[in-house]
Amino acid sequence: MKKNMYDYGFVALLSLLGLYALTNFYSYMDNYEVAILVSSVAGFSYLGIKWARFRYFFIASFVLTFLSIYLYQGDLGQSESKFLLKYILSSQSAIMWMTALFPLSLLIYWFYLFSKKEFYGNFATCMVWIAVVFASAGLLIRWFESYLIDVEVGHIPVSNLYEVFILFCLIASLIYLFYEEKLNTKKLGPFVLIVINAAVGFLLWYTLAKNADVIQPLVPALQSYWMKIHVPANFIGYGAFSVAAMVSVAYLLTENIFWRRHLPAKEILDEMTYRLIAIGFIFFTIATILGAVWAAEAWGGYWSWDPKETWALIVWLNYAAWLHLRLIKGLRGNILAWWSIAGLLITTFCFLGVNLFLSGLHSYGEL
Amino acid sequence: MSSMRFAISMLSVVGLASIIGTVLQQNQPYESYIVNFGQFWFELFEMLSLYNVYQATWFLLILFFLVASTSLCVYRNTPQVVKDIQRFQENIREESLKRNKYALEVPFKDFKRLELIDFLKGMQFKIREKKINGQDDLIIAKKGDFQKLGYIFTHMAIIIISIGGLMDGNLVFKLKESMGIKQIEMQDKPISEISKKSWLEISNFSYRANMLLAEGESQDVAVIPVKDGYLIQDLPFSVSLKDFKIEHYASGQPRSFESDLVIKSKKNGEILTRKISVNKPLTFEGVTIYQSDFQDGGSRMNLDLIDLHSIAGPLNMKAEVFKHNVMIVDNKKVNFEFEDFRLFNILDIGPEKNKKPKNVGPNFRFKIRDEAGQAREYETYQLPMMVEDRYFFMSGMRNSPQEDYKYLRIPADADRSLEGFTIFKSLIHNGKKIDKAANQLAKKNLIETKEVSQDLANSFKAIFENFVSGGYNNIAMSIDSNVPEEKQEQVASTYIKIIHLIADQLILDYQDNNPTSTPFNFDDVTVFSQDALNGYSDSFFYGSNFWVELRDFDHIQASGLQLTKSPGQFWVYLGSIMLVLGIFCMIYIQEARLWIVRKKGSKKITLAFASNREHLEFEKFVLDTKDKIKRFYSH
Repeated sequence: MKKNMYDYGFVALLSLLGLYALTNFYSYMDNYEVAILVSSVAGFSYLGIKWARFRYFFIASFVLTFLSIYLYQGDLGQSESKFLLKYILSSQSAIMWMTALFPLSLLIYWFYLFSKKEFYGNFATCMVWIAVVFASAGLLIRWFESYLIDVEVGHIPVSNLYEVFILFCLIASLIYLFYEEKLNTKKLGPFVLIVINAAVGFLLWYTLAKNADVIQPLVPALQSYWMKIHVPANFIGYGAFSVAAMVSVAYLLTENIFWRRHLPAKEILDEMTYRLIAIGFIFFTIATILGAVWAAEAWGGYWSWDPKETWALIVWLNYAAWLHLRLIKGLRGNILAWWSIAGLLITTFCFLGVNLFLSGLHSYGEL
Repeated sequence: MSSMRFAISMLSVVGLASIIGTVLQQNQPYESYIVNFGQFWFELFEMLSLYNVYQATWFLLILFFLVASTSLCVYRNTPQVVKDIQRFQENIREESLKRNKYALEVPFKDFKRLELIDFLKGMQFKIREKKINGQDDLIIAKKGDFQKLGYIFTHMAIIIISIGGLMDGNLVFKLKESMGIKQIEMQDKPISEISKKSWLEISNFSYRANMLLAEGESQDVAVIPVKDGYLIQDLPFSVSLKDFKIEHYASGQPRSFESDLVIKSKKNGEILTRKISVNKPLTFEGVTIYQSDFQDGGSRMNLDLIDLHSIAGPLNMKAEVFKHNVMIVDNKKVNFEFEDFRLFNILDIGPEKNKKPKNVGPNFRFKIRDEAGQAREYETYQLPMMVEDRYFFMSGMRNSPQEDYKYLRIPADADRSLEGFTIFKSLIHNGKKIDKAANQLAKKNLIETKEVSQDLANSFKAIFENFVSGGYNNIAMSIDSNVPEEKQEQVASTYIKIIHLIADQLILDYQDNNPTSTPFNFDDVTVFSQDALNGYSDSFFYGSNFWVELRDFDHIQASGLQLTKSPGQFWVYLGSIMLVLGIFCMIYIQEARLWIVRKKGSKKITLAFASNREHLEFEKFVLDTKDKIKRFYSH
């Protein structure tokens, strides 16, 4: 009964937030954006009810964000003079905290794997949660900062490689944390955090070598409410596939007696891979379809065989075949695990390689 | 053909072909392929249609086979699926129920058959009842039939999407082309001269065509690029462009492109006036019009040709983008071909590590073609740009489109104009002034020699005039041929010093004679004088005697529109919705069957479960259901 109280409380809080946004910013929104806002409130409420910890995460991110907004007082220059902004609550600093906490949690997870002391496992999970809060607060604050530059420049921070890499870290971690809790698989943390830290490494390099963290205004093709749906949906797909591949690595390691003693049971790993790929596949399908609808509106055709589109199709076919073999042919075991690891390579190429090596309509994040 | 193996191998080929299509840039001009691959590979790749893989006949054929294979698969399996959905597996044997992995016995006081059935129905089970052995009760329950429908949904969806895609492909044209009814036009011609074989009628039911429309212009046909040629698509209306607008962010980057269009129907003369922009297309008579890009629409420019190597005054020239101007220079024809004018140019400018996008103002591009037909390309900016804290006029030159531009930098004077350089140029060509400067310099005796003589002044002058006739390159050549190698470096630096000093002196003299003149009002005019010497010297490698200065212009833009008729879109979207629903059903609906047996007179029931997917989730479901049934009886 008590749990229900919290559920209602969270839903009420979200609805209030949504109402606040609607009453204050309605004149800046089109109907689609209102619909996106309403469904976000519904979606996050659902997540919060299904998953209690998500509520704390959500509230923590928003508290940090609002604190930051309060400190800025409408002036971007404050980030240089105010201590809290300069070191914690400007988007740059929040993201730097995230990039520090992910490697730390990777280390603790590995320590936990061999020490087997629950304390370290909980500690590592806790670090990931804090990193995730910083990631999401960092993005939200960046969103706000872009409006401080100029109302015309302001946009949701999912428009270039730098921003989507943060989004990737955020979503992949959340997906992992969800299954870690539901299937009690803390011992997979050491593996999953590898792929997240690879993204963190790229992000750091990209920031330092290319100054990628500067907020740029949107090119005309990206000025659409579609971006708010298409990109996050895609990254749920990418995130789930990446985590699945790391679980598959653990699955293959259990062939070895040494690792078998340290890792969860094979059936659980198998189940988790399946669930991750399934949820990733659904979101990836939806994202690709929404991308096609957007392309029809912006580029004049729902499918142009643009390199990104083509690689998205290859990724889709790959996981479609994976699910097909598992669900219809009942295939299990190492082949599927190897396949899911290969899937990560294809996914990475689609996500990053296309931007690095190929040119096309999706060239929003060239190096 | 309906086998999975066939489908998978076809899919792999599609995947591979798609990868080739992403690696090999598609639909480029064929010349660039020849340059990249060489004649042999170019022809081989062309034979395989690798430059437009996705429109290649073999690619479409594979897609067709895939659709056929999937259709066959659906056709074969649907009856079975339907039967499975209707079937309740009533004829199950008692022994197999006992051997069931999840078998469980639940004791009860009272069987409560009807309540039990209601209870199961409440749990979303569908129920069938039966007597076995003539006396025992058998309840057959099942749920999650939609999971099986998911299978049909997803496969149907793929067929529908593919058919939609094929409807929007160019199959019909391919067929007509192979029968010789239609033909791709390869040459650039006025529309009126293009053969009817290369025209597609208004009735063509699917196309993606382009239209380039200059401000004030009107058109009623569009162009479809095909391979290395194009087709003309007749439209059911005419489009005219009243105005094209680009709006910019404060930093100069483009924020929006907008076209004010007037569309007039050919059928009934209906007129529609509308503004379209990126992400906001317009549909009229089944054709959707998109803003896709923009370019120059024939801007008019008023230009001055400034001879870089003589003191002749500027030649005036009126030019228009996309037109050619022929000038007679030294009895030779020089052909200026103007190709583009851009009002805004956003370049990343600033110190390394802190470059910021900035609008540097208008530029224009042209080719200079000599009598032999050789052309060089130029790109010149109207306004001076800041480089290393000084302002320069910039003009890039390259000998072929494959090269990068090499920039000639002419320093702007204190008024940020070219005037200072023009004065400078006239000074360094003025023999008397050079004499005077050389004499002054010799008298000042700045060079470490003891004799002050006319000879020295004369040799200063000779060095300087050698420079004037060919830049530093001339100096280097004469040093190379006259000075022993070990002394070359020393002599070179002395010569350069002399040239700098004379140039400085020329400017100082000029300032003394023209105290009100402003171009040289610098804190340190020697910086300007050195930049001017460098610019002058580099201009010998500029490939043209003329600096083209843009005096003023009349900007005319052209809007790039895309016109699409896409009847397949509806089917693709419909298929997509089915696909998502289907995947959702397949993955998230738990299919389960439950048998409950009660032997006559017995005080317990036997439960048995089965599912087509017995994974962890199902085990949880079984435990859950058992609990509920136990609780049902314990109340």
